[in-house]
Parts: sequence; C-alpha cells; structure tokens
Amino acid sequence: MSTPVPAVRAPGADTEAVQVATRVLGRGTRLPGWFVILWRNGKCRLGLLMLAGFVLVAIFAPVIGRYDPRDDDFDTSAGPSAAHWLGTTALGEDVFAQLVFGARTSLVVGIAAGLLCTVIGLVVGLTAGYLGGWLDEVLSFFINLGLVVPALPLMVTLAAYSPVRGLTLIILVISVTGWAYGARIKRSQIITLRTRDYITAARFAGDRTARIIAHEIVPNMTSLIVVGFMGAALGAIGGEAGLAFLGLGDPQTVSWGTMLNQASLGGALLSGQWAWLIAPGAALALLITSFTLINFGIDALSNPHLRED
Amino acid sequence: MNLFQPEPRGAHTPRPTLRSDEPQGEVEKGSMALLEVENLSVTYAPRDAPVTRAVQDVSFRIREGEFVGLLGESGCGKSTLGNGILRLLSPPARISGGRVVLDGVDLTGADEERLRGLRWTNLSTVFQSSMNSLNPVLRIEAQFAETFAAHRVGEEVGARVVELLRMVSLDPGVLRAYPHELSGGMRQRVALALALALRPRLVLLDEPTTGLDVVVQRNILDRLATLRHELGFAVLFISHDLGTVLEMADRVMVMYAGEIVEDRPAPDLVREAQHPYTRGLLGSYADPRSAEVRVSYIPGRPPDLSVEQPGCRFTPRCPYAEDACGQRRPELRPDDGGLVRCLVAQDGRLPRTPAGAGPGLPVFVGFPAAAGLDRSADPPPEQAVGDPVLLVDDVTKRYTTRRGLRTTSVDAVRGVSLALRPGRVTALVGQSGSGKTTIARLVTGVERPTSGQVRFTAADSTTEVRVDRLRGRALRDYRRHVQMIFQDPFSALNPTRTVGYALSRPLVNYHGLRGPAVRERAAELLESVGLAPAGQFLDKLPHQLSGGQRQRVVTARALAPEPEILIADEPVSMLDVSIRAEILELLGKLVRTRRLAMLYITHDLLSARLLADEVLVLNHGDLVEQGPTLEVVGAARDDYTRLLLDSIPNPFSAARRPG
Repeated sequence: MSTPVPAVRAPGADTEAVQVATRVLGRGTRLPGWFVILWRNGKCRLGLLMLAGFVLVAIFAPVIGRYDPRDDDFDTSAGPSAAHWLGTTALGEDVFAQLVFGARTSLVVGIAAGLLCTVIGLVVGLTAGYLGGWLDEVLSFFINLGLVVPALPLMVTLAAYSPVRGLTLIILVISVTGWAYGARIKRSQIITLRTRDYITAARFAGDRTARIIAHEIVPNMTSLIVVGFMGAALGAIGGEAGLAFLGLGDPQTVSWGTMLNQASLGGALLSGQWAWLIAPGAALALLITSFTLINFGIDALSNPHLRED
Repeated sequence: MNLFQPEPRGAHTPRPTLRSDEPQGEVEKGSMALLEVENLSVTYAPRDAPVTRAVQDVSFRIREGEFVGLLGESGCGKSTLGNGILRLLSPPARISGGRVVLDGVDLTGADEERLRGLRWTNLSTVFQSSMNSLNPVLRIEAQFAETFAAHRVGEEVGARVVELLRMVSLDPGVLRAYPHELSGGMRQRVALALALALRPRLVLLDEPTTGLDVVVQRNILDRLATLRHELGFAVLFISHDLGTVLEMADRVMVMYAGEIVEDRPAPDLVREAQHPYTRGLLGSYADPRSAEVRVSYIPGRPPDLSVEQPGCRFTPRCPYAEDACGQRRPELRPDDGGLVRCLVAQDGRLPRTPAGAGPGLPVFVGFPAAAGLDRSADPPPEQAVGDPVLLVDDVTKRYTTRRGLRTTSVDAVRGVSLALRPGRVTALVGQSGSGKTTIARLVTGVERPTSGQVRFTAADSTTEVRVDRLRGRALRDYRRHVQMIFQDPFSALNPTRTVGYALSRPLVNYHGLRGPAVRERAAELLESVGLAPAGQFLDKLPHQLSGGQRQRVVTARALAPEPEILIADEPVSMLDVSIRAEILELLGKLVRTRRLAMLYITHDLLSARLLADEVLVLNHGDLVEQGPTLEVVGAARDDYTRLLLDSIPNPFSAARRPG
C-alpha cells in the first residue's frame, strides 16, 4: 500500500473513495451500497426508522388523523379526551388531526426547499468552481453575501412584505436564504476535483465541459450532495416552523409552526392545554432529531474510518 | 558547539536500559539489539472485505547504530510492518500476534501514555509525504517548538533548531517559512530534521525520497549517511527502490507477501541474492551508461493474502519453482551469511548468477531483447528517416506573477527547439522545475508560447497547423492527434467509471462510433495493450486493477483516437520497479508498430536509455544537451547531465563499497 499512492490524499479524494465503496457494498445485496452503510450504524438506523415513521404518518394522515384538521365543529379549547386525543383548539379543531397533517407540511417544505437549495447550490457552486476566473469572483461574492446576511431576519422581511401568501412562497424564501452554504462546499470540492488527471484525460478524449461536469465530476460528489440536501432540509423544516410561529406562515396550511402560533394566541398556556402546546414542538424536535441521527450515518459514509466500529 | 554529541544522551528523558529479567541469551555477537521484533503479525479485518494477514510472523533485530533496509513491491506489507513497529496502526488493522521490543520496552503492550514518551525521543519517523506530515498553517519554527515543548525540552531551543537545520543543509531562514513555501526536497529535509530533533536511537524512514527527483534524492541520502555517521542512530529504511536501499543499508531485508524472504548484508545481496524474488528485483536495475542495457521484470502480482497460501508465496511468479514449492511452506533459514526463505536455495540448487543483473536471468522476460528493442546497437537505419510530425521552434515561455505592486517573471522554457518523428521516442530529461512539463503543455496546446512556434503536420496532409495559435474547436480537433499518458495511473482514471466507459469516450467523440461498435473497438484496444481477455476488463472499475493494469488502460485510452503523437509524462515513476520494464516494453512496442511519435518526459535516465532514440536534457528551462541516447548517456558532455547520471542510485556500486 505504500509505494505508488501518496500516503494521504487530499480531502477530495475521500469522496471518490466513498463512491467506490458504495458501489462495491451494493453488489452483494439488492440494496444500494450507501443504504447498507447507513443501516449498519445504530444511531442512523434509529433515525431512519423515525423518519420512516413520519413519512408514513404524513402519507396516511387522513386515516390516522380521523378528522379534517380544518373542521371546527367541536368544542373549543377542550382537554384531551377519547374523542379528541390531544384536545381541541380555541377554534374547535382537533389538535391530533392538525398534528398529523402538520407532518405533511413539514416534510413537503423540508424536501422541496432542501431540493431547491441543493440545486441552486450545485449550479452556482459547480459553475464557480469549474470555470473559475471572473465568473467565480462574481458568484463567490454572492455566495459570501448569502453566508453573511442573517437568514432569519431576511426570511421574516421577505415573508412579511411579499404580496402573496402560500407554501410555495415559504419554500422559496427558505431556499433563497439557505443555498449559500451548500454552494460554498460544492465549489471547494469541485476545485479539488477539476485538477485531477482524469478530468484532463476526459478533455483529451474530446468531452465537452457540460459532459465532464455531469459524468466525471458529479458522480464523485454524490455523498457531498446528499449531506448538503439533508442539512438544507433540516434548516428548511426549522425555518418554516419559525416563520409560521411568528405568524408569517401560510394561513391556509396546517403546520406545526402554525399550531404553535395558534396555541400561543389561543391561550393554551392559560387554559392548561399542555398537549396542544407541547405536541407540535415535540413532533418538530423528533423530526429534527431523526435527521441529526441520520447524519451520524452520513458521516460514516463520507469517512471510511468511521465505518469500522 | 555541537549539541548532538553522544555524551549528553539521556539528559532529558531517563532511558530504559535492557533489564536483567529480559531474555538475553539470544543477543547476537555481543552487540545489543536495539529493536527486537518477534513473530509480529498484523491483520486487517475490515467489515466489508475478507480478513487479510498483511504481515505474518516477522522476526528481526536491529542493532544499535545499524542501517537496515526493508525492500519489497507495494502491497507486500512493508509500511504495515513499519506502522506496526511504531504502533500507529488504526482499525481495521491491528497487531494480531508477536511483540516489538525497543531497548527492553515492550511496545506492543505499552499504553498510549508510555508510547507518547518513547516516540520521538527513542523512536522517530519520516513519512513519504512531508507535505502531509508538516502542519500547513504553522511556520517551520513553530513545528520545532511544538516538538520540543511536547517533550519538555526547554533550554536553548533556538540554537538547537539552527543546529538541526544546519545538519540537513538548510538555511535558518526556512524557520520563518510555511511548508507550502518550501520545495518537496526542502520539506523532506525539514521532516528529517524534526525526526532527529530529540536524538532518537532508531529512525524509521518510510519511502523518504520517493517522489523526489534524483538530484534532490541524492542530496538527502548523502546527508542521511553523514548524519548517521555523526550521530550514530539506527535506521529502518523502508523503500521499494532497490537502488537507494542497497546503496545506503548495511543489511537488507526483502519482504514479499507479508513475509521476510531474504535477509543479508547489502554487498552480499548484490553479489549473490539467494531468493528468486530478490533476483527479480535486482534485475530491474541496470547502469544506463553501459553499452548494453537489459532489465527484467517479474511477471504477475503478489498473491491475495486473504486466501491461505499453502506453499511458498512466490511460487506462481518464480522461474525456479519446483513441485514441492507449491505444497511446502519454506522457513526462513540461515544460509551463506544471511537468511533465506526458499526451498530451492536452501538445497543449494539455485543457479549462480554472475555479478550484476539482467543477463543472468533469462528466466524473467528480458525486456530489450525480447521486444527487439535492444538499444546497444546503432539505431536501425529506416527509423532515422521520416519527416517530423511536430516541430518546436525556438520556443520561450515566460510566466509573469504579480504579487502586490511587484511583478516577477520566470522563463520556464528558453529558446527550446525539438522535433518529433514517427516511430521515434524523444526523451525530455531534467529535474522537476526544469521546464519539461511546460514543453508538454505547449505541445498539447494547453499553453501558448511567449515567443517561437509549435508546428504540427498530420501524416495524411501537407498543411501545417500552428499549434500555438489554436483555440476552441480547432484545439479540440488537434487533440485527436496528440494524446497523453499520465504519471499517476491512480488519478488518471475516474474511480466511479468503468474501463469500458473511459475507453468509449474518445471513440464516440473522435470516430463517431455508436452502440456495440464502441465496445468492440474498446476490447480491441485493451487487447493491443496486453489486457486479454478484454471482456474481463471492460466492466471493471479502476480500483479493481493493479497499478500496471491501470497504466495499460490509460495507454489504451490514449491510443483510441489513433493519435500521431503520444506524450508520456513520467509514465512509470509511480509504478513498482518490478513492473516498470513491462510498461516501457509496451510503450516501445506501440511506438514502433504504430509509427507514433513519442515525447517521453522523465527524470529517470535509465528508462530514457531503454526507451528513447534521442535525449534532450533540460536545466532550468535551457536545453543543455541533445543527441542520440547512447551518446548523451554514455558520453555526457554537460555538467548537468553528468550530475543527473551520478545521482542515480546504483545498487551495484554497493558491491564495490568496502565493508
């Protein structure tokens, strides 16, 4: 192992090794290699199971929730009972149904904003990193701007002054404020990858820039892209809850953030409706915990040494 | 004042001495063993791969002040053994048996705190890549200070550091520098100075000069020899480079497939190696100045150690193998002043070899003879003709860098002219920084010359292409005619793409092939570089191939567009010595059969001698010598060429060395 290979490779080389490892591991089973690595990690497995639970709840929300979350025909501000497991809101809606449907909103926002952030980050990062020069200077300026401007006040401002309200707006606002971090990481990664000999070789083989990026570079950074997506989704879920709690969410959608907002406005604390107050916060905390646990596994994915124990 | 006289030894750290309760009966010839390795085994047990015994039952001793070399191909367990001795193995590797005793202290049983005290004061190391072993954000000064502080050496640190740097011939000015501001050789000397900072008794050098060019290597090795003489530390020198090891070491251990197969004093090893593997390694060396140069290579690869090997592990590659070799495992037995692990040799049935290498080993495929590439005779007349396909005419390349308000310009290449002809290999020889790679970049159109011209004439046309004026699409079309073979076959292939994909790209882009025709042609290419049956290789990923196989794939890809010019930038320097000749043979054959014009860039005059028809020697951007290979190498006129030649480590000079 000593002779021809430099003893330690640049950090970028690791992500290449990851892609190879995931291919090799996937060979014996029907499962993809990355999944095998994630599943073997105890913390990550718990996180995956928790996330799967949330996804199932979100999909089967109408069955599990029993009531329409917008249906306000029940007693107002009732405590937990057999009919209403977590009680009802000040407007007479079922809290449990809202909680269950809220999972939908959180996951949709997480996935959509996560994807959007990743795509913006990928496009900006790859362009800046691969082409370099003045374009890199310009794009890096915007990346730095995005990193420096505090996200929450910007989100609040954008959401508060926008003429329209809706989930799409929330997703857009979160993406616009959250893409920069991923872009920065991808830019530095591509800078280490683009000087590899195989990129030069691809140019000598007559490949065009777009093809080189898509077929030679991107496959070597999938683990980084996945990590970026997870981080962005996590931030988006928190961001949506925050905006909604401040009353800047979409009034038409039930989400954990709007539930917290309503609980606060509806005097849950005064009427002693602990379940109404705690349930959405706890659900939010659990979802974020599941993402964090999954990230332990992703660490193992990008660092082969962590896989051994 | 020399702070490194032996007297004050032990002033800072109480040194453990060999205790009376240690077994002393087997200490050889009165001289105490400083390091004793007893039946050391190291096992790799990764989760996703079978268990591999990388080091198996290795026992040896190093006496106080002794210089021991450890030789072997990559993947033979040399570095694993070194890391095992240093206790630097990390999972999935672990010591699975045996012990390492340094001056009476059992390192295998010592806890981390104990080891921390011993490391550096008793046992230090220099790794191969000093760029990675020096902290990039600390000045050199701080790195020395850190080492001293960690071992509570307070007094006179400044004077000591200057003294250390003087020992490795570095100016005290480097103290203010960051690692990236130093050249590779300077960094490696800093690493050596750091390793010697606390006057250790044993220094483990793991490939300390691999990757440095010959002149720098020579410099460091000479320094090391002097220092060892002055300070009297013992050395375990791990390398795949037989030349340096044999030249430096008192005693050489040869490792193959996790076992020590031969152990004897260096001069004896050169004179009469007893293990066929050692002979094979020796065969890959020759003096480039000889009138006739032959090198041999060892076909095949080291065995897979996750599978139990019943007999001698070298059997499949051994030219002397007998039936018994495949069944009975040989022991490491004393033999003729050394130790050898070979049934045939132990029975005294191994044919004797004359001193020197190559010719005595007809059993290994001798490269020049077998390939009809014997450069001993004058060049065949029909190759001397042929119009040049590429002309570099009085080319200068100036790089201007601007730092603050000052601009500095460096001439990477000054007034160089050369011609590449079909079927001929032109070698460009020089140290790193001599402008070799700049010329390659000018020839490929990656860079434009500041002045001068690069002209290309395709074989089937008479129109000249001005390479120095190409841009965009025209440059892309030109690349069809000029292809590259890279230095590092490990980074020249995309790790996530199959061999078939890598080969398909030029075929699709330049020949417009589609569908099954691509695969068919890719298979043909693989077979033309000796990878047969091709079907077996097309769907492999690069990591499943050995270094030599990867370099063949890289070569096949370069051949795919059917270029007229092939640029090979150090194509064998990252490969094991045992297979370099194999790749050179392939390149030589391709050049002759396909009438390619090759620009062979190297710092290694031996390979240039074997492959090239013509040699150009570059020094700091100037062409200092030019002519037919035999003339330049055999009767060098320029001082710089002679310096390059003298810097080549020569194992056979060790035989002449007294002692």
